[in-house]
Amino acid sequence: MTIRNTRDRWGSVSQGLHWLIALLILLLGIVGLTMGELPRTPKFFWVYTAHKSLGITVLVLVALRLAWRLYAGAPEPVPGTPTWQERIASATHWLLYVLMFALPLSGWIYDSATGLRPFRWFGLVDVPKLVAPNPGARDVSHAIHEWGFWLLIAVVVAHAGAALYHHLFQRDATLARMLPQRWIASPQKD
Amino acid sequence: MNIKLTSPAAVAAALAGLMATAPVLAADYVQAPGTGSTLAFATKYDGEVFTGSFPGFSTRISFDPANPAAGTLEVTIPLAGARSGNSDRDSTLQGEDFFNVAKFATATYSAKGFTKTGDNRYVANGELQLRGVSKPVAFTFDWTPGANPVLTGRATVKRLDFGVGGGDWKDTKTIPNETAISTVVKLQAK
Repeated sequence: MTIRNTRDRWGSVSQGLHWLIALLILLLGIVGLTMGELPRTPKFFWVYTAHKSLGITVLVLVALRLAWRLYAGAPEPVPGTPTWQERIASATHWLLYVLMFALPLSGWIYDSATGLRPFRWFGLVDVPKLVAPNPGARDVSHAIHEWGFWLLIAVVVAHAGAALYHHLFQRDATLARMLPQRWIASPQKD
Repeated sequence: MNIKLTSPAAVAAALAGLMATAPVLAADYVQAPGTGSTLAFATKYDGEVFTGSFPGFSTRISFDPANPAAGTLEVTIPLAGARSGNSDRDSTLQGEDFFNVAKFATATYSAKGFTKTGDNRYVANGELQLRGVSKPVAFTFDWTPGANPVLTGRATVKRLDFGVGGGDWKDTKTIPNETAISTVVKLQAK
C-alpha cells in the first residue's frame, strides 16, 4: 500500500486516520452517553477526563486528516458512479468533516463554560479554557454536542450503509479501497 | 417665638430625645434589607479557584467601638441557597457529602465580645455551628462607622472540622481544608 492516495485507492495515511478516528468516535460515544450515570464524586471524574482527552485527541487527528486530505487529494469516484451519487457522497464527506470538528469543539466549549474543574489532557497538559464560566454558553454548547452527536451517527449510518451497498450490491471497490489490500476481496463486476 | 434652652419644656424635650435615641447609642444594628450585603466563600478544586455565595443570610450586631468587649454578633446562613455558578456543583453542595441541607438547613455564627486589633479593626472569637458541629472560628472585621455602618469581614473555616466534603471529597489535595469566607454587611439601626 502506498502512503499517498492514488487515483483508485486510499493510501495508508488516509486509511489509518479514517479507521482510527472512527474507532475513537465510537468509544467517545459509548463513554459520553453513559458517564452521566456515574456518581458525581471525584472517584469517577477520571472517566470525564478520559472522554474529554480522547475528544481533544480526535480534534487534533481530524485537523491532521483534513490537512492530509487537502494535500494528498482523494481517489477518483469508482468508475460508473452516477454524478448525483458522487455529489451526495462528496456532500456527506464534507458534512462528516464539519461534524468531526463541531463535536470536540462544542465539548471543549461546554467544559470551559461549565467551569467545574481544570481539564488536563490525560492528566498531563493543561488545556486552556475557550470561554469563561457561563450558563448560557454551557447550555448551547451542550445542546450542540448532544444533537450534533446524533446527527453524526445518522450521517455515519448513511455513509457506512452506502459503502456496504456498493460492496455487496454494486460489487465495486468503494469499501475495499478504504481497507488494506487483500483484507477483503475487491468484488469484480460480472 | 422665644424658647429658652433652660426652660423646663426644653429640658424635657432634650431628655425625651435622648431616651428615644438611647437604643441607637447602645448600637444595635441589623443587616439592611435588600442587596448590597454579601457572604461569600472561595476555595479550589484541583488547584483552580471557585467561589460561591450564601444569598439570604442575615446579621444582627450589637457594637459600640468604644466598648468592643460588650459587642455581640449573630449571623444566620441558609445553606440550601448556596450558589457557586454551576447547578451540578450546587446540588452536590446541598447533598449529604457537603452541607446536607435536608438535615442541617442553616448554619449560624455567634460571638460575644470583640477585641480591637487595629484602626477600626476587630476580631470576634465566636462559634460556628455548621452541619451539626459547633466549633470556634475567628472572624476579623473592619468597621466603617456612620448612621449606616458597614462591616467588612473575613474568616478561614476548616471544612473538615465540620464534615463538609466527606466521603470521596475528603482529599485536601483536591479541595483544601481551609475555606476563605468573606462578607460585606450593610447595617442599619435596629
